[in-house]
Amino acid sequence: MRRGQQKLEGQMSDWRSYEPTLIPNIGGLYQLDTYRKHGGYEALYSVLHDSKKWPDPSSVVQEVKDANIRGRGGAGFNAGLKWSFMPPTDGGPRYLACNGDESEPGTFKDRKIFEYNPFLFIEGATIAAYAMSITTIYVYIRGEYRSWIKKMEKAISDAYDAGLLGKNIMGSTFSVDLVLHSGAGAYICGEETSLLESLEGKRGYPRVKPPFPAQRGLWGRPTTINNIETLSNVPGVIRNGATWFKSIGVESHPGPILYGISGHVNRPGVYELPSGMPVMTLIEEVAQGIKNGKKLKAIIPGGSSTPILPAKDVENLTMDADALRGAGSMMGTAGLVVMDEDTDIVETLWRISKFYHHESCGQCTPCREGTGWLEKILEKVVRGEGTSRDLDLLLDITSQMEGRTICALADAAAWPVRYTISRFRDEFEARCKPSLVPVG
Amino acid sequence: MAEIVIDGKSYSFEGKPKLLDFILSKDKEVPFFCYHPSMSAPANCRMCMVKVGQYVKNRDTGEYELDEHGERQIRWFPKLQTSCNMDMMDDMIVHTHETDDLVKRAHKDTLEMILINHPLDCPICDQAGECPLQIQTYKYGPEGSRFEVKKQHKPKHVELGPRVTLDAERCINCTRCTRFTDEISQSHQLTITRRGDKNHPTTAPGAVFDDPYSMNTIDLCPVGALTSTDFRFKARVWEMNQTPGLDITNGKGVNVDLWTRDNLVLRITPRHNPHVNDYWMTDKGRDAIHLYNENRLSTPSLRLHPKDKDLVMTSWDNALQTIQEIVESTDLKQILSLGSPYASVEENAAWAQFSQSILKQKPSYTPHVEKGTGDGFLLVDDQAPNTAGCELLGLKKRTKAALKKAVSEAKVIFSNHDDYIERGWITKEDLKGKTWIYFGTNMTQMADAATLTVPITCAAEHTASYINVDQRIQRTYPAKETKYTNRRLDLEMSEGRLDRFGTKFDHWVNEDNKIDCKPLWEIVSELFSLWGNTISYRHGRDVLETLNQNITALDGVTYQAMDDHRGILLSTSEPQEASA
Repeated sequence: MRRGQQKLEGQMSDWRSYEPTLIPNIGGLYQLDTYRKHGGYEALYSVLHDSKKWPDPSSVVQEVKDANIRGRGGAGFNAGLKWSFMPPTDGGPRYLACNGDESEPGTFKDRKIFEYNPFLFIEGATIAAYAMSITTIYVYIRGEYRSWIKKMEKAISDAYDAGLLGKNIMGSTFSVDLVLHSGAGAYICGEETSLLESLEGKRGYPRVKPPFPAQRGLWGRPTTINNIETLSNVPGVIRNGATWFKSIGVESHPGPILYGISGHVNRPGVYELPSGMPVMTLIEEVAQGIKNGKKLKAIIPGGSSTPILPAKDVENLTMDADALRGAGSMMGTAGLVVMDEDTDIVETLWRISKFYHHESCGQCTPCREGTGWLEKILEKVVRGEGTSRDLDLLLDITSQMEGRTICALADAAAWPVRYTISRFRDEFEARCKPSLVPVG
Repeated sequence: MAEIVIDGKSYSFEGKPKLLDFILSKDKEVPFFCYHPSMSAPANCRMCMVKVGQYVKNRDTGEYELDEHGERQIRWFPKLQTSCNMDMMDDMIVHTHETDDLVKRAHKDTLEMILINHPLDCPICDQAGECPLQIQTYKYGPEGSRFEVKKQHKPKHVELGPRVTLDAERCINCTRCTRFTDEISQSHQLTITRRGDKNHPTTAPGAVFDDPYSMNTIDLCPVGALTSTDFRFKARVWEMNQTPGLDITNGKGVNVDLWTRDNLVLRITPRHNPHVNDYWMTDKGRDAIHLYNENRLSTPSLRLHPKDKDLVMTSWDNALQTIQEIVESTDLKQILSLGSPYASVEENAAWAQFSQSILKQKPSYTPHVEKGTGDGFLLVDDQAPNTAGCELLGLKKRTKAALKKAVSEAKVIFSNHDDYIERGWITKEDLKGKTWIYFGTNMTQMADAATLTVPITCAAEHTASYINVDQRIQRTYPAKETKYTNRRLDLEMSEGRLDRFGTKFDHWVNEDNKIDCKPLWEIVSELFSLWGNTISYRHGRDVLETLNQNITALDGVTYQAMDDHRGILLSTSEPQEASA
């Protein structure tokens, strides 16, 4: 068929027979009765009522920890381990904040869950709430997701009506409330602590850590923040066990992944497949190849902040945290951006920098000033007015931003610039006038 | 006791102090902008970076791990840390810019970033000369800028409220002002708006920044973004002399600095005193510049005939002899002698002495308390700065009604400072047929109704002490000259900054702003001499020395002691506090 298929067929023979669990191909799954007909809420029921299997909430935490669900929001931290950081209950309120603010360019996976399988997420969040003795779940949903906000509102009210949220869930003694909160168009509110600030009704400024949210989170109370996709994996783990979950995909980063493939491919979209998929398989087979039969130039593997990878580094690359780190990039949100041979890398980088300039909250000096400076220099380079000195200056500015701020937005803004220039220096040089003045 | 090593020197500490606080307390320097000792540390300016590490200890034995040279192993933090929000830990190693080039580089980088969108309009900026950004750029900043693209433009001369004007382009977004309204004044009137390099402080749409403490944000602002609408463009910092003083508009006794040029007080800023006002003061207290500069009584004035509309100027000799004539031609029982809670301890004491030996009566005073005007912070109900002083001197306390009655019964009345007419305590009608001798600083309604006005020095012109509502005695310095003082001879007057040639900046040439007035104790001394008495007070200190001997509570209370301890808490029954 297409290039790459024969070579990879042996390694990943089972991906075609993989049964999706997060967004299975079942019509009307967004309706509660359809969801329950297909095994929905069995996991929650067993957690609440099967006291042999789940003697206490900590047994649920342990199972999730064993499954090694690595956070799907980008950082890839073991979700169960994160849950275990919550301090013992003291009778006061405890919160779970679900991060559905996905705003990173190239990332659009959570919206599929909101759209096709909202109850899976709600069930997962409810199990998490039980496991950590949470009193209120906040779902922070991206403000631009108008129609999915409506879908979620319907799903939540249906869940309340069916006794799956609120007081004495499924006839047990466990009660939890779920509140849907829509963002107002700020990328920074996807950062976990500024998400908490935003939920409190304040400006989305990331908080200084420590104290960590598990100690002092929302309104100063213990809080855990999880990604929507992460929580959606929880019912599966509870129903089928940690071993089942770990058998999917690669060992170090197990489980199903929602790959959001965008860019110059014939069939862009969100595909649920096991972790560790070969990148070329994703491009050539899953997304059915690059448009107009062009050649691949580069990919951005996990949303715009992850370092770009040129085609030559992608040949045998698989999509999991360790392999991507080895290749000089990151898993991020598995939002794969595919660029064909005609892509103008300089302009692409300028567009990415423009985004971070627009979205920097402005709290820390290096990010507030640096993001704008990067964008302005890149704009100059795009216009053909740049000099090779500007490229060195760009690299210098990135080193002035990285690791010097409260949150990781400065890093997210600096990495694309640093790695795109260092990996595609020729294309930048070609757009620049020579300069003999050192940047020093 | 925990140990910490900063730049190779080891210090011991207790508790969990923040690293920046601790370093500053050891007389070392770390540059910062957003940090303020009285507010939360948001760590957003990223200026106070230090390199931090910790000695590695063996978990089992608790022994220090040693490297091949036998030195203790250090585990460095992977990134530079902001010292303002860093909790100190035992066995911590800290390198500041003094010993680490990476930290030095970080300071330079941050300053370069801060300056790229800063307008660099120091030549026309009010803050220049006292600007932390300017000072730190000279000390730690890069030599030039590599920023060759367009700066971000933001709103300029925005009037946030009646007293504060914003220049958003100068703002470095440290959030000190918004934290002040959130944490200190708690009016929550300011917030940061917009994102990234476009953000700046503002009020809610349509809201006015009329916080009674709004002008503290001007002092807090580490750049010239928030400026005083009144003081804006009036003077350069180095042209003014800075003199410690007190806020005399309220009983709290807020410590202030008076900034003078050409014998005009141009602005008043708070002076740090942890026992009274911390770093803050009220906007009302800053309005005292009008009291000091405008509408002053200058040269004694006399009403020749009771029906005359105007007072005519007279000489000091004539004024004092007139007083002597009036006193000698009147039955002493028909004379009413009034002290004032607005006058200092020294003024009241000198007047009380004159009153008791010549007028044969103790002066009385009426406190000026307006119930419900206090706010539990720096505004108290007591409007006068020295009510407690009057009480300590044993002046008779009269209620408003008693005052009105006493006035109606007296024929000759001596009063100072208080404007009873403006407060509505007595009316002009009540003064008909009476001889009112008024020692005052300003042309008040009282002065307008008086028979004889004698101008006295205000709190910006003399050394005197005031006792606040919490019984703390504090003192003022002369900040501006009168016709009879010379700041080159008066060693208590502050001196100007040196210019680059090493000469002082304060070449004040304007004689117009010198007021023809004298301290009340000097006037009292001159009056005494008319009666053949040799008591003579040339300085507030002379009065205070007499009081040191006569009043037990004031024993040992000297100006020097007040300076050393930032005011002294007086106590009639208990011994004084040891130190500040």
